[in-house]
Amino acid sequence: MRLFSVRLGLALGLLAAAGRPAPVAAQSPPAASDESLDGARIFGSTCGFCHQAGGRAPGRGPKLAGTQRSDEFILNRIRVGKEGAMPAYGRAFTDKQLHALVSYIRSLKDDAQ
Amino acid sequence: MKQRRALYLAGLVTVMLVTGACSMSTSDSGGGMSGPRAASMSDAGGAGNDWTTYHGSYQSWHYSPLTQINTDNVKKLQVAWVHHPGRSTRGLQSMPLVADGVLYYTGSYSRVWALDAATGQPIWSYFPKLNDDLVAAQTHSPYTRGIALGMGKVYVGTVDGRLIALDMKTGQPAWDTKLVNSEKLTVGFTGAPLLVKDKVIIGAQGGEWPGRGPIFGVDASSGKKVWEFLTVAGTDEAMKTWGGESWKTGGGGGWMAGAYDAETNTVWWGTGNPAPLYDWSGGDWKNSGPRPGDNLYTTSVIALDPDTGKLKFYHQELPHDAWDFDSAVGEFVMLDRDGKKLVVHPNKGGHVFVYDRKDASVVNVWQLVNNINFVKSIDPKTGALIGRRDLPLGKHSNLCPAIAGGMSWNSGAYSPKTGLYYKIGQEWCMDLEVIKTTPVLEPQAQLDIGANFTLRNPEGGKAYGHLSGRDPVTGQKKWEVRFPEPPLASLLATGGNLVFVPDPRGMLRAYNAETGQEVWSHNNGIGHNGGIISYSAKGKQYIAVATGWGSLVGDEFGALFGEPFKSMPKDAGAIVVFTLE
Repeated sequence: MRLFSVRLGLALGLLAAAGRPAPVAAQSPPAASDESLDGARIFGSTCGFCHQAGGRAPGRGPKLAGTQRSDEFILNRIRVGKEGAMPAYGRAFTDKQLHALVSYIRSLKDDAQ
Repeated sequence: MKQRRALYLAGLVTVMLVTGACSMSTSDSGGGMSGPRAASMSDAGGAGNDWTTYHGSYQSWHYSPLTQINTDNVKKLQVAWVHHPGRSTRGLQSMPLVADGVLYYTGSYSRVWALDAATGQPIWSYFPKLNDDLVAAQTHSPYTRGIALGMGKVYVGTVDGRLIALDMKTGQPAWDTKLVNSEKLTVGFTGAPLLVKDKVIIGAQGGEWPGRGPIFGVDASSGKKVWEFLTVAGTDEAMKTWGGESWKTGGGGGWMAGAYDAETNTVWWGTGNPAPLYDWSGGDWKNSGPRPGDNLYTTSVIALDPDTGKLKFYHQELPHDAWDFDSAVGEFVMLDRDGKKLVVHPNKGGHVFVYDRKDASVVNVWQLVNNINFVKSIDPKTGALIGRRDLPLGKHSNLCPAIAGGMSWNSGAYSPKTGLYYKIGQEWCMDLEVIKTTPVLEPQAQLDIGANFTLRNPEGGKAYGHLSGRDPVTGQKKWEVRFPEPPLASLLATGGNLVFVPDPRGMLRAYNAETGQEVWSHNNGIGHNGGIISYSAKGKQYIAVATGWGSLVGDEFGALFGEPFKSMPKDAGAIVVFTLE
């Protein structure tokens, strides 16, 4: 039925104006590997939405570079979150990924931005 | 007696819906309250007294024809009543609705209130029990942006994936339908539903998650799901626009309420961006990267049959959106011009698309904001992107607009009296570094962004916002007012020749709709990030506005603009209602 509706749309000339979408070659995205433990990748996928410049500048969330918080505090904040401000990622990441994130945050130089 | 009248009206609405008797065109409606609910209100002798659907009418005008409050007496506007819902995490972001002397609205955590529209006295409230662990794990939560009314019920979506119907008189649940497996997908519902005939239509969240952005049609009487349209690869044709298995990266949520064209029985809905937001393949996006291809039907306007959920036609505003510039934002302003039936739709990237309502063919595209460089232009005749700026792996400077968009999700307004379209534009840019992330192909509780970024001022100037009054079809500007920060709330136009702008610092401002001259203001004490409406109760006209700060866009203001946003509470909000003294 969906195919029918699309054909109907084509018959009505609905796609003509902006050009029809081009089918693409079958190609899978890159496979996952140990990338899943790369703190910078995890950060760029999930955390950079709020902690700007890769955690080097404040944005929706605070700047993380040079943080005086303990590892335990950071781990707990990522796991549990903060109501109305930061989601709880306890079910999203493994312990190894959480520690990879902390290592990434610790690697940030405080002089950038 | 009142209950009998309400039942009569509900029955009348049903009859008119079934027969199609409510169908009317923009030109003969004479106001913003046409559509099925307006038919009942008209029958009650008070067309335009109420505000019964998210966009004010199916035509998305955000316009009240009421004239009691006007440019001559607006200075006498004062607070009539205030209602605090409590626990307003991320502020009140919703659009109140009014029917038959009752104001309904929803706050954070999908809490619903029914209040006497003249006094603010509570009639009933409903607090759904939510999955607290899930809510704590959600990024775009726990706000709820609106409800739908009709068939004797109030309809509200929940952030844990349910659509609930409440009895309008008592607030008692009539049905509670689980539509999205939010525990698996993380996302749920934050947008308002839309009642069309006997269906409640609602779109799920989802631009940055591996879902398929469904839009649902649910039977308004029983709560039974009738249809589901997948905005990600939902047809054979669309599946071919995602290389390999990349459709699993998903996105495309229809997270804001759409509109309905009764003449053609067509629902118009906007869809969100694909995931991840940024694509390290840069200019080779047709062949490589995390989601090769056009990625239909993300960042598109789609036209659905409300009875079946079948796709009638569509236009993808940004093929292979690589900037997070949703089509899910904004309104579908329906109007007639030179014998053509048009719909005007803003895109988050800063352009306004004008379509023919019969088939979504492009009639015009015009630019609302000044700072745009993600494309050089968009062909006004075809809608084709010209000179797109794709962003390969690595650092990029001064991408405009910023991720927060040239326009945000709240709505503009259209006045049939002035013929002008009033809309907020946002002028800001950002620096970013595109990261090669691991594609997220399975549902999981995390975002899929693909870049680190920093908002910044445009080159040669400061970030700012503006309100302009324009011809909705050509974009020709009649007047403009600038703001030091972009207002993020919806606008209201009225028959009293006024345009109301709730601003981010907390001022509610009124402007002469013809000239843009400010004619009144009031300090609500906290920023605005939600809806505003006008209605009449017991012979008096009221203006109701949602207050409260803390949306994901507003969260950027502290770092970019400093105070008062650094210290502005993000857990407060109220409905503030004004009338003439």
